[in-house]
Amino acid sequence: MEKIAVLVEHRQDEVRDITFEMLGKAHQLVGEGGEVIALFLGDPSQKGLLDAITPHAHRVIAYLDTNLKNFEPLRYQAAFSQIFENVDCQLILMGQTAFGMDLAPAVAAKWEIPFTSDVVDIEASDGDLMAIRQMYSGKVNAKVSLKAGDKRLLTVRAGAFPAEDIPTVSGEVQEITGAVEGDFSARTFVEYLEAAVGDVDITQADIIVSVGRGIKDADNIPIAEELANALGGVVACSRPVADKKWLPKERQVGTSGKTVKPKVYIALGISGAFQHQAGMKNAGTIIAVNKDPKAPIFGIAHYGIVDDLFKVVPALTEKVKGIKG
Amino acid sequence: MDIIVCIKRVPETAEADLVIDGTKKAIETDDLVYSINEWDNYAVEAAIQLKEAEGGTITVISVGPEENNEVLRRALAMGADEAIRLTDPAFEGSDAYAMAKVLAAAIKDMPHDLILTGVQADDDGFGATGVALAQMLGLPYAALVTDIKKEGDTLTVHRELEGGLEEVDTLKLPALLTIQTGINEPRYVSIMGIRRVAKKEIAAKGAADLGLSENDVGLNGSMSQIEELFFPPVGEGAEIIEGTMDEKAETLVKILKERGGIA
Amino acid sequence: METMEQSLPERLDLYTCIQCGKCTGGCPVSIKSPLNIRRVVRESAVREDLHVFFSRLEIWDCTTCSTCAIRCPRGLRPVDAIIGLREMMVEEGRIEKTIIDALDGAYKYGNPWGRAKNKRAEWAQDLEIANALEMDPGQILYFVCCAASYDPRVQSVAKSLATVLRAGGVNFGILGNKEVCCGSEIRRMGEVGLFEMLMEENMKNFTKVNPQTIVTTSPHCMNALKNEYEGLGAEVLHYSQFVWRLIEEEKLSFSTEVPMKVTYHDPCYLGKQNGVFDEPRNVLKSIPGIEFTEFGRCRENSLCCEGGGGRMWMEGTNVGKRLSEIRVEDALEMGVEAIVTACPFCLLTLEDAVKTTGNEEKIKVIDLMELASMGLGVRPEVEGRR
Ligand SMILES: Cc1cc2nc3c(=O)[nH]c(=O)nc-3n(C[C@H](O)[C@H](O)[C@H](O)COP(=O)(O)OP(=O)(O)OC[C@H]3O[C@@H](n4cnc5c(N)ncnc54)[C@H](O)[C@@H]3O)c2cc1C
Ligand SMILES: Cc1cc2nc3c(=O)[nH]c(=O)nc-3n(C[C@H](O)[C@H](O)[C@H](O)COP(=O)(O)OP(=O)(O)OC[C@H]3O[C@@H](n4cnc5c(N)ncnc54)[C@H](O)[C@@H]3O)c2cc1C
Ligand code: SF4
Ligand code: SF4
Repeated sequence: MEKIAVLVEHRQDEVRDITFEMLGKAHQLVGEGGEVIALFLGDPSQKGLLDAITPHAHRVIAYLDTNLKNFEPLRYQAAFSQIFENVDCQLILMGQTAFGMDLAPAVAAKWEIPFTSDVVDIEASDGDLMAIRQMYSGKVNAKVSLKAGDKRLLTVRAGAFPAEDIPTVSGEVQEITGAVEGDFSARTFVEYLEAAVGDVDITQADIIVSVGRGIKDADNIPIAEELANALGGVVACSRPVADKKWLPKERQVGTSGKTVKPKVYIALGISGAFQHQAGMKNAGTIIAVNKDPKAPIFGIAHYGIVDDLFKVVPALTEKVKGIKG
Repeated sequence: MDIIVCIKRVPETAEADLVIDGTKKAIETDDLVYSINEWDNYAVEAAIQLKEAEGGTITVISVGPEENNEVLRRALAMGADEAIRLTDPAFEGSDAYAMAKVLAAAIKDMPHDLILTGVQADDDGFGATGVALAQMLGLPYAALVTDIKKEGDTLTVHRELEGGLEEVDTLKLPALLTIQTGINEPRYVSIMGIRRVAKKEIAAKGAADLGLSENDVGLNGSMSQIEELFFPPVGEGAEIIEGTMDEKAETLVKILKERGGIA
Repeated sequence: METMEQSLPERLDLYTCIQCGKCTGGCPVSIKSPLNIRRVVRESAVREDLHVFFSRLEIWDCTTCSTCAIRCPRGLRPVDAIIGLREMMVEEGRIEKTIIDALDGAYKYGNPWGRAKNKRAEWAQDLEIANALEMDPGQILYFVCCAASYDPRVQSVAKSLATVLRAGGVNFGILGNKEVCCGSEIRRMGEVGLFEMLMEENMKNFTKVNPQTIVTTSPHCMNALKNEYEGLGAEVLHYSQFVWRLIEEEKLSFSTEVPMKVTYHDPCYLGKQNGVFDEPRNVLKSIPGIEFTEFGRCRENSLCCEGGGGRMWMEGTNVGKRLSEIRVEDALEMGVEAIVTACPFCLLTLEDAVKTTGNEEKIKVIDLMELASMGLGVRPEVEGRR
């Protein structure tokens, strides 16, 4: 593969991490002499966002139009109609994100571009490519081939590739400024809404920091909250913690509480009783912090730290805050 | 309002020890328990709630073998009015794109104001069928929907974005939505309820009935193909992170980033 | 479906209630819950539309201990009014998520925790227990129970019982992965159809095995098999009855001293509902070294632990102190070292109460078979507490 295009994902005037993850992978795949192209669709006022991208792409195609301020699939598709011809590449990458999932399958169907989704790795073999994707809740991996075509399209799982240490190249920006045309009234963006604080629904959370009796006292709950905030997650608990009213009953995980399935579940001072496990065993990644190496929670956790949570949590919170700036 | 819900029957694999079969392209399914795809259960409930508020009909469609009647019957017991099963040996090997073609061929001739699919399937999880289907039917759509309000022929929907953020959009009917879990609380379907609809006829349609040729569907009509399945490397029990407190925290941060633990 | 044709009060004869209130007087949860069983009986009889109950969470506070049914001078079963209301809620699908999960689990996997079917017999892996389906007819079938099969804490009870049966020279087998939930709790959560399905599944295997006696770990299974399964020819016994019989017949005796001051907690489904009070006590007293004291509230007056009637999956209004905590505090006052019980749910709720009251250093909760196993010189391994 010589040329790979990456669709830049940005929201509320911030370029999202997935963009850099895809750029990094694209560099690796094209190798020396290849070309990494960034596709940027946005409002002219968002041009400043390009500063973060240009150093990591050989070419940036920036379509700037007031119609493209927010991600809207109909407008994005209309813009694609105008730029696809100019983009000479064998592979297009988008994120398997709320943005990419709302766009990529339609683009693939509309232009009949061979496509597969939610890819966790991409292998180049004999000039062709194989996509690795996960099936059956991550228990099995599948190697998937794509039909022949001038272009192919993959959506990439967030976090599958590192966002750091991406090669720096001198990018050239190619601006397109014609108006994006069409009737977009069939679907209209209205606004962004922050999830209301207070009514936290742990069953919908992607990241859960869960505390058990090891937290010792209601006064210590804030250390878990601080970690959860830093991670962008929510706090949940085992039943004894809810019983003691240190956290509301709605936060209880387990057979007599809620069943949760987050991407990441961090169990702090939870022994891992059967009734608790039943509510969280299907979490994507389970990380347990417990000072007892024999605690049953380590039997189902993917990663464990055998140590005092009152030492681990502050250290971790600080590190997380550090990388978030 | 005439609502169509696409539902898939999937194996439950969270508790199971999976075995890759001789072809290396599929898993052995004999010992697996099947049920309605979790997302589709929410989609059926969403349809019923809309029907309860607005009137109309609900038709559920599933592509697959006779066993799929189980999930169709369950949806009927839950409150759907009609069920259709699409089945043909030619459909085998279809990817999300070919699956969308099959569904589109069936739906295009049926009255529809709203089509609901799940965001993704529990088993192969392409998360693509709904949006591809919308494109083929030429309908406006929204993926990852967590709230639906209807006023006249306009829907106001919420989409779930990353990091606790939601997006509000309006859509003109007819439209397609892919439904995210948690949008509602799907009602329980009792065994008695299922027994009550046990005798209801479920029509089955094949490729010819839908005007599809062998080249439209199955492996021929797909954009992707599974070459090989393999197990990702896994360790028994937790991998214990060692080192100084600083190193432990450092390692944890790395894991969190890889596993989507930092929003 | 026939049952649905008669109205709830007709079916249960609720019109004959004299509103004496003896049911509420004996109801263990009435002191802490808005549940007033006398009023439920009354309202069920006079209300046109029973949907008013759907929003009342306290309907799920009832532990189905059946004290009300024992005390009713008119011979009514007020508890069945509660179950009848739950049946209506189940029919309309309007039940809490935790209950839905338990019912779905029992439907798909044959156990309310939704654990894999093929892991049901994992607890017995190294024990070389016979497959009952390959035994000659007329033998002993051990019906294990979902909790004892899957919950590591209760697995120790099943293992201990196996030890005790072996010591008594009993030839016994289990259904292994073919056993499914007895359905007792399922029925009490209001899912009659599913109860029947599970019953049919177990009956199919019972017929194949054709045992003389079925021995159960749980009083809940015992009650269902004995009193609710249709067409079961075999004798059904709780382990306490069976083990006491072995002792009486001098096939089993305990020789290892277990010096321990204990009390015994009567499981509702064993005592109140099936009148089995003496056998567990007799077994207990035949273990050398045991010093036995009765709870103030014991036998027919025993306090319910709140583990039954679906309460493992649904806490109801969850107000006030847990009864199991009261039980633990009473036991502490009596100065005993351990509460012995003979039911998986009692074991779990009481042990949980020991934790939540912060008394782990002072008192233990032990199943009767774990104690018996100690009397044989075998220390049970309790995995949930590694
Ligand atoms: C009917 C019933 C229903 C139940 N339903 C539920 C339910 O829905 N959800 C639920 O969670 N439980 C439920 N339980 C309770 C369950 O059995 C356990 O008692 C409970 O989960 C234990 O909670 P825990 O892990 O917080 O406490 P513990 O078991 O006491 O564990 C505390 C852990 O913290 C560790 N620890 C202590 N201090 C530190 C420290 N400084 N640093 C690191 N680690 C430390 C200890 O090593 C220990 O492993 C139920 C029980 C019953 C009987
Ligand atoms: C090479 C290959 C071979 C395959 N062979 C087979 C096969 O032989 N038999 C087989 O059944 N599957 C087979 N599959 C999987 C099947 O084709 C997938 O269902 C299809 O790819 C759609 O993707 P998905 O299920 O992940 O749906 P997603 O894109 O994740 O979308 C999910 C939504 O689409 C709708 N949907 C998806 N599938 C159906 C369905 N069957 N009926 C109704 N609605 C549906 C539902 O609303 C669901 O919520 C194969 C896939 C591949 C790649
Ligand atoms: S004890 Fe019997 S008669 Fe008395 S109030 Fe209760 S149900 Fe009615
Ligand atoms: S069964 Fe027990 S808990 Fe339920 S109403 Fe009767 S006495 Fe109360």
